[in-house]
Amino acid sequence: MSALHTISVSPTNGLINSCLRLVCPGDGILFIQDGVYHCCPPCLLDSVSQDNALFALREDLLARGLLCKISERITPVGFGRFVELTIDYDKVISWS
Amino acid sequence: MQQKSLTFITRQAPYGSNKAKLVIDAALAAAVFEQQVNFLFMDDGVFQLVQNQTAESISSKTIGRALETLELYGIEQALVDSVSLEERALSAEDLAIPVKILNVEQVRQLAARSDVVINL
Amino acid sequence: MKFSLLVSTSPASSQGAMTAYQFARAAVSQGHEIYRVFFYGDGVLNANALSTVPQDEINLPRAWDEFLTNHNIESVACVSSALIRGILDSDESARHKMTGVSLLESTQIAGLGQLVDASIQSERLISFA
Repeated sequence: MSALHTISVSPTNGLINSCLRLVCPGDGILFIQDGVYHCCPPCLLDSVSQDNALFALREDLLARGLLCKISERITPVGFGRFVELTIDYDKVISWS
Repeated sequence: MQQKSLTFITRQAPYGSNKAKLVIDAALAAAVFEQQVNFLFMDDGVFQLVQNQTAESISSKTIGRALETLELYGIEQALVDSVSLEERALSAEDLAIPVKILNVEQVRQLAARSDVVINL
Repeated sequence: MKFSLLVSTSPASSQGAMTAYQFARAAVSQGHEIYRVFFYGDGVLNANALSTVPQDEINLPRAWDEFLTNHNIESVACVSSALIRGILDSDESARHKMTGVSLLESTQIAGLGQLVDASIQSERLISFA
């Protein structure tokens, strides 16, 4: 069963490493709240397989002045698409 | 009642916040309702398992007592992420209750096959 | 799709509660069902009817109350989390010989069984912290 992982804290606490240990091929990762700081340089996401789609919540990027700074791999999504993503994947695992 | 496999991931150290207790309480409730419950210690959550804790010294309840109730409620095995132990220089001998240590692939499979993962 | 939400952060101290609220609104606007919103730990403070905020800020408990009522969505504050934080309905207030009631009208106080039930009955449980 596929999972959408949401990450809501900044890179400082290294949570992405724990998350990646559970990420399977085909899973997606959505950065929300302070998690969106993962999406701008220095890029911390090079170790994430190309099998895993990466998303970030547009509202949180906008709020933090990051929308124009994010890596090309990240797809910005609004709340409507956030809801759809939780349906596209079989379950949601939140990391905070 | 319908049965689902619920995996609870506990990732916080025991006394600095109430998160550890929240995860235990939720897992116990799931066990009471006869769900298939997995309980995984990860990251700082493995500190809950360290022996010789005496939380009375900080007017708190020692977490080990609550962890022992997991088995009483039918959560047969406490699961531990091996990487989290290694990162903290801990091994099975340092732990207060018997656990099953899972390697990276086993942890990944556990998450993949669970219907619901609650990760507080 | 049938969703339940697990909210475990306070509106006064972190963004997670607002994210949960915005997600809930988006889900309902797409025609999805929200089976239950479960407030746990500091999340019970989302159901604090006595919360007052400066005029230029959103009163999230009030916003939840309106949203949950308008869409007839069940919400539950975990009893042990609620009592320790002073979130009481009239029954609990009387039982503990308190003078005030602080729980939103749209929310009930109940046990963790309601979280387990939500996990079983819903197709997706989304956790916000």
